Amino acid sequence: MLSRHAEDMFWLGRYIERAEDTARMLDVTYHNLLESPGENSSRTWQELLEVLFVDAAYPGPLQGRPVSGYLVTDRSNPGSIIASVGRARDNARGLRDRISTELWEAVNVFHLELARADFALDIDRRAYEVFRNIRSRCQLVSGVAAQTMPRDEGYRFMMLGWLLERAEMTCRLLTVRYVRLAGSEGQLGFHAWVSVLKSVSAYEAYLKAHDASLDPSSVLEFLLLDQEFPRSVLYCLQQVERLIDRLAGSGGPTAMERAIGRVRARAEYCDIASIVHSGLGQFLEDMQKEIYQVSEEMENQFFRAGTDLQLHSYRWA
Amino acid sequence: MGSFDEVRGPDGVRPHYRVLMDRLEEIGAEELADRSALLDSFFRTLGITFAVSGEENGMERTWPMDLVPRIIPGDEWRMIEAGLIQRVTVLNRFLDDLYVGGQQAVNDGIVPRWLIESSAGYVREAHGIPAPRGSRCVVAGIDLVRDGAGVYRVLEDNLRVPSGISYVLENRVAMTRILPVGFASHTIRPVDHYGASLLRALRSIAPHPVIDPTVVVLTPGVANSAYFEHSFLARQMGIELVEGRDLLVDDRHVYMRTTQGLKRVDVIYRRVNDEFLDPVVFRQDSLLGVPGLHGAARAGTVTLANAIGNGAADDKGIYPYVPALIDYYLGEEPILPNVTTYLPWEPDQLELILGRIDQLVIKPVGEAGGYGIVIGNRADEATLSAVAMALEADPRGYIAQETIQLSTHPTFVDGRLEPRHVDLRPFVLSGETIEVVPGGLTRVALNEGSLIVNSSQGGGSKDTWVLDDRVGDAVTPR
Repeated sequence: MLSRHAEDMFWLGRYIERAEDTARMLDVTYHNLLESPGENSSRTWQELLEVLFVDAAYPGPLQGRPVSGYLVTDRSNPGSIIASVGRARDNARGLRDRISTELWEAVNVFHLELARADFALDIDRRAYEVFRNIRSRCQLVSGVAAQTMPRDEGYRFMMLGWLLERAEMTCRLLTVRYVRLAGSEGQLGFHAWVSVLKSVSAYEAYLKAHDASLDPSSVLEFLLLDQEFPRSVLYCLQQVERLIDRLAGSGGPTAMERAIGRVRARAEYCDIASIVHSGLGQFLEDMQKEIYQVSEEMENQFFRAGTDLQLHSYRWA
Repeated sequence: MGSFDEVRGPDGVRPHYRVLMDRLEEIGAEELADRSALLDSFFRTLGITFAVSGEENGMERTWPMDLVPRIIPGDEWRMIEAGLIQRVTVLNRFLDDLYVGGQQAVNDGIVPRWLIESSAGYVREAHGIPAPRGSRCVVAGIDLVRDGAGVYRVLEDNLRVPSGISYVLENRVAMTRILPVGFASHTIRPVDHYGASLLRALRSIAPHPVIDPTVVVLTPGVANSAYFEHSFLARQMGIELVEGRDLLVDDRHVYMRTTQGLKRVDVIYRRVNDEFLDPVVFRQDSLLGVPGLHGAARAGTVTLANAIGNGAADDKGIYPYVPALIDYYLGEEPILPNVTTYLPWEPDQLELILGRIDQLVIKPVGEAGGYGIVIGNRADEATLSAVAMALEADPRGYIAQETIQLSTHPTFVDGRLEPRHVDLRPFVLSGETIEVVPGGLTRVALNEGSLIVNSSQGGGSKDTWVLDDRVGDAVTPR
């Protein structure tokens, strides 16, 4: 397929995942603060901005309304939900001949809904509903994609975008929250870990796999290394590796294949106790770098054909 | 002379419209209004919109399609079809003669040389670019109107990058959903084979030894107002939709950048205008084109459709000579006559034009989309004297035509059926053979009395039904 289309598919997946993650984390933050009024809310909003990588760019006060506005409806924030979905829609529009009509409609209707003039008002009146609607729109998009798209090259690139974004997001969430949570004990710590789990839709799944005692290292293990939970970092990386295997074809391992193999193995064979002992912060930072490198190598291999060619374009007949 | 009404003649509703008009009557105005709203949401959900410049992304307009279809009886269509094939055959011959054939028609004095050489659409760089099968107008859109007597006449030829076919196909799909009862009572010739026909035509003009050519659609990109159509056609044909940046030319061969490396391209259905195709030869500031593309076309390693330089034949100043060209190449009378046209560069005709300027239509030769047209009997004094001065200063820049009152057709406006002016743009494909898509795009001027049907200026469209009256060969509509 065309390199440009592959790249647009990749980012379509990334943008939708980003919108969903943003909505979910906003939702959790918002309602956590309502439950625990004693908490330092500006600190909490600051952390949310950090997880989403926009803390440096954010211009407003650290309060719920302006932060939510910035993350949901502010077009000047390239990572806002409205901007992500807008770009996902631009990509989908450019991909009309590659994606199913159902997928296009799902993305287009999502975009039109967010673009409605009175949309921003809704956040004030019913935050819960707004965040839930955004999440279910995102889930609709991914569900429709799963139900209607052939498992071709384009689909694989889209899934790669989805999974790499998700893996990175979980790493960032743990990085930002870990610093604060590592030392905390008792009630506060308990609620905070619940909110971390909820931020990646992992609370219920965690309870099923473990129990309600919420031992911090088992939460960590769950989010990083669980083999079955679809948002754990390891699970995402295993899926990424499988997709890359299918895309790369035969021949010796490329730089991209080596990069994903390395980071997946690093996650798969690590030992939580020794990571916590030797520094989780460093471990997560390394993971993020390596995941980033996978994206980079993938882009070089699939999206940059012909860029290194010495062209003989100007030779005349 | 007044307008010819498509539906009502002196004896009431014409026979081929009787069933439809009865059905519409049964449905009633209220229900029609509901269905009209449904139509709007149908197009919006599908994203069939056109961008209006200056408006925000979420503010695109939906394609205005009217609920009342236009019907063309089978025998009438056969005449139109024959006329279109005759005309496009000649236009292909003329262009091939112009660019690779030694310009016989010019040498024989059929079209004045100075007129060709002063045409903005005449491209010197197109000389020597081969066109397999002589199919230079692979896709032609020929605009037809009906005069007061109901005679179909050619208003203009569009031989560069004519658009609108996607609306023909989408209108048909929309109509089957919104007005199924109309279909149940007619046998209508289908249009949904267009993608297959276009692909066949494009494959048939691949450069010589290529057996299984790679065909692509080249679009200026998402920002182009016809982008929807480009994407639609690529999907219908099952081929790649590329932008200039997806292609590169190396050693006079064209390649596209794919995830598996570079891949040779043999035929390009390009929806990018000549001047943007190749910054090495044409506009240097163009980011839409591909450096070296012209050289590759000239070397014959890739075929561009439509060919470069077709603007020389659809120049409005060349249009008046098409009947003479039909006689020259085929020895035939035109089946579809032109609109009577006067040439300001002929001194006696300029005098005639200036004397009747308030009754004629004055058109700039280089404009499209209805821009710059002055309709004499609707213009004020100041406009008329300005246009008269312009004519005298630049006679080659304009033509004058008799005002055609365009036929009218009942159209659903403000909850009622009102007569509105319509034209018809059929699409003609030239590949191994010449093929006409049954019907075409009927455009309707939604403003009362207006003669300008362009969608950029308040125009809408109608589904256009060609009735299949061939006995034993009926095609069931879908």
